[in-house]
Amino acid sequence: MGLQWWCSAQATPWSWSWRPYPGVWLFVLALAVAFVLVARGSGDAGQRRGWALAGLLTLWLALDWPIGALGGGYLSSVHMLQYLLIALLAPALLLMGVPDGAWDRLGGSRALPVLRLITHPLVTLAVFQVVLVWTHLPAVVDNLMATQTGSFLIDILWLMAGLLFWWPVIAPVPDRARFGPPMKMGYLFLATVLNTLPYAFLTFGETPFYGVFELAPPVGRISARQDQQVAGLLMKVGGGIILWTAITVLWFRWYNREDATGDRPVAPPI
Amino acid sequence: MLAMVAVACVAGCSVEPQERRDAEIRARETGWRGIVLENPPPKPSFTLEDANGRPFEFQAETDGYTTFLFFGYTSCPDVCPVHMASLASVRRDLPTEQQRSMKVIFVTTDPERDTPERIRTWLANFDPDFIGLTGSKTVVDSIQLSLGLPPSIYEEPDENGFYIVGHASQVLAFSPDGSIRVIYPFGTRQSDWMHDIPKLAAAAN
Repeated sequence: MGLQWWCSAQATPWSWSWRPYPGVWLFVLALAVAFVLVARGSGDAGQRRGWALAGLLTLWLALDWPIGALGGGYLSSVHMLQYLLIALLAPALLLMGVPDGAWDRLGGSRALPVLRLITHPLVTLAVFQVVLVWTHLPAVVDNLMATQTGSFLIDILWLMAGLLFWWPVIAPVPDRARFGPPMKMGYLFLATVLNTLPYAFLTFGETPFYGVFELAPPVGRISARQDQQVAGLLMKVGGGIILWTAITVLWFRWYNREDATGDRPVAPPI
Repeated sequence: MLAMVAVACVAGCSVEPQERRDAEIRARETGWRGIVLENPPPKPSFTLEDANGRPFEFQAETDGYTTFLFFGYTSCPDVCPVHMASLASVRRDLPTEQQRSMKVIFVTTDPERDTPERIRTWLANFDPDFIGLTGSKTVVDSIQLSLGLPPSIYEEPDENGFYIVGHASQVLAFSPDGSIRVIYPFGTRQSDWMHDIPKLAAAAN
């Protein structure tokens, strides 16, 4: 088997022998360099650097061997794990890793009106859901995962849709005074509800939906249908854990802020 | 982003995998997802040894059953386990009556390594009711030739002594009365089996 630059479906039996994917390394390296350049002109670092590093590591873990290779064409459940890491976890960490100075510069840029439009919560939620559904359609998965370019395209779509999805929740630019913590929590809650459709589709399907995973050389004893059911549960439970963690963090931050400003209603004495 | 979605949509939405297109065309034209043979030769008559060491007369033992016959080997890394897993999964979902009237026969093309014990253990991973048969390579090759399948070929062993066996990748299906024979190439999906099995079972007499 020749060198692959990106993980995609292979008609060869799975092997636990390590394989290099130079395209993944270049991609993650390019992102890391971009972060370093942005941080250099911003002055601040500290905790944000840690978030950025965690985001890059999450992305690398999801794209490289073995997760990238297994999810690329062997196991639907690992493909779903990739989705969770690339579209939900890594984008949140990467946005949290952007230095304050970079946000300030973006806030003063001429692109702000366009940014305001494309990062409107209704737009970002709609785009994220469209990408989520579309990239899990059997015809799309079977065709795109068969080639490295197609697989790359799915991964990039996930990452970009994830960045858009988290933007209104994490990014301070553009300023959306009306989109406060309660709205953000509602936005994330809506996302947990919306991913129920693909979850049900995968978990309760009578036969495997994806030919690329159904007809792949087997890995372990898991059947194609069990694998698909695990994928559906992972989408619901794993996605739920990430989103509910974010909701919980938002709630406590909001609670503490209200507490500090004395705005929190006090229960009347009994 | 929108441009990427558009490009991806063109790539993903408009192109169905070839085997799916073929199966759907067949389904429209013939009502079957598998390839139905016109004027098939009579159901073959051969006797091999089953995984318990008993003689198994194929024609007599499968008479009245919807039968799936596959030639493969237990060390097969791809096609054989996928076919067996698919058939097992589909069989589990059939009504009990149809499960009882269906037989899956696996004939080893690698009798050197596939002992009866090994065949029994391997098949039990998928469905303990699957029947494993073994015989000399010469006999198995002649059965395959009589069914229009190429004889198996042993590739050169690697440094660990492991070798690949080249063999036909299709499953042959017979209706209970043997009048209909359908070929299922590799790439047949579980949904295809689910579509065809009730028709095959109902085709008796």
